[in-house]
Amino acid sequence: MYKRHISRQLAPYLDGLLEPRETQQVEVHLRSCEQCRAERDQIRLGMAMIEHLPQIEAPESIWSAIEAGLADGQSSRRPAIPWWRWALAAAAVMAIAGVAYWRLAIPARTRWEVVRIDGSPSVAAKPIRGAARIGAGDWIETDAISRATLKVGEIGSVEVGPNTRVRVVSERPGDHRLALAKGEIQAKISAPPKLFFVETASGTAVDLGCEYALNMDEDGSGLLKVTKGWVSFQWKGLESLVPAGASCRTHAQAGPGIPYFDDASDNLKEALDAFGFEKASTDALSVILHESRVGDTLTLWHLLSRVDLAERNRVFDRIAALTPLPAGVSREQVLKLDPQTLNRWKEELAWTW
Amino acid sequence: MFRPGLLICIPLALALGQAFTFTIGSPVASQDFQAKTAAFVFRTDGCADPAKPQIAGTAEGLVKGARQSVTLKVVASSKPGVYAVFQNWPAEGVWVVNLKGACGTANAGAIVPVGPKGFIRESSKFFARAATDAEINDSLKTLAQGGSK
Repeated sequence: MYKRHISRQLAPYLDGLLEPRETQQVEVHLRSCEQCRAERDQIRLGMAMIEHLPQIEAPESIWSAIEAGLADGQSSRRPAIPWWRWALAAAAVMAIAGVAYWRLAIPARTRWEVVRIDGSPSVAAKPIRGAARIGAGDWIETDAISRATLKVGEIGSVEVGPNTRVRVVSERPGDHRLALAKGEIQAKISAPPKLFFVETASGTAVDLGCEYALNMDEDGSGLLKVTKGWVSFQWKGLESLVPAGASCRTHAQAGPGIPYFDDASDNLKEALDAFGFEKASTDALSVILHESRVGDTLTLWHLLSRVDLAERNRVFDRIAALTPLPAGVSREQVLKLDPQTLNRWKEELAWTW
Repeated sequence: MFRPGLLICIPLALALGQAFTFTIGSPVASQDFQAKTAAFVFRTDGCADPAKPQIAGTAEGLVKGARQSVTLKVVASSKPGVYAVFQNWPAEGVWVVNLKGACGTANAGAIVPVGPKGFIRESSKFFARAATDAEINDSLKTLAQGGSK
């Protein structure tokens, strides 16, 4: 981690020009340094303003007037120029020099590369044959026979499946963000947690160091399937933690459901579907509790915070029957949904997942 | 070096019935993104100082009927006492991981079979000592026969 302030690294950091290790060090420093965070925000604002400055062509009349003035003024005595015009001109020169320096000193933001795998995927509504660059706001779209790979900065890649619409929301080094409207993506990310996000209509998949597939229907329902690491699936204060080997459904208006291991019994999976996403069904809960193995404490742990108190007692009893209660975890604290206790229990249960 | 804390903690751990042992889990248990591609992770339990136990291990294999042994690649995770085992043995044949640990005078051992779909929790064996060659051979034989004893 950097111990001194990181002014020099901020501009290349925001432009994605640092090595992954340097990027990580900058981010660690930013978390604890208010001064550098403020400086970063100023630079970010400046960059945004520059990007939004319109280019205006000077009207012809200006040039004619200047040329006429030059021809005229060769021999005649020039009138005195007011001081404020000099000040204005100096300010304008300074501003132009500043912009020019910024543009020359700081290379353009790195856009991500999209490579065609099959068919004719399009980027920003233009079909690509080989590779193309994509930036924030651009869409990648594929038809039934098209696929493409998107290189996500320096941290990984995303394969875009057929019949998919996905947009780059942000390509900043600290915020690699896509929005999946429909279709399927497969993400392989090698970076510290919380650098890669995929927004959907019913939840945001937050990478915690992982590989996963995310499939979304146009109606906002979908399925997240994790093959390595963890994904946090979040929506309006709701969070489902999905580890490798597990999946989680998400529904429009309800957000992520209860995660389950892919090798769980069919009865348990059907009961989870019947359990719904907002209200518990007592019959379904009975099936889930009965069908749960030790590894299914993943599902049971998530249920704790989504059922009422009476049912929470039943879920607690089932987990405690499957695995010994670790030190520091008590029924009382669990029933109160104490965050520290729940986290402690989750970390211990994860050894059986 | 004399460490009075250990004199207190070791008898305390023994009094509480916490034997020195290994606990294995999938890579997600380590809560460390760098372990996500590990074959499995393990931790030591029942050691007064979780950062200090002596850990060693080998991958023991049976390839085309011949025994092979590979020194294990064990990487300490960001959590004290939690380690990740990365596969550095050939894909061919059947393999088990033989873990050995020592904490003061206490010892622990484990045999963890690793199949094509990852480590096999149900067939893993844990000991209060290092596993013997006979126990390792027995596990390899069971694994080769497709069993999960």
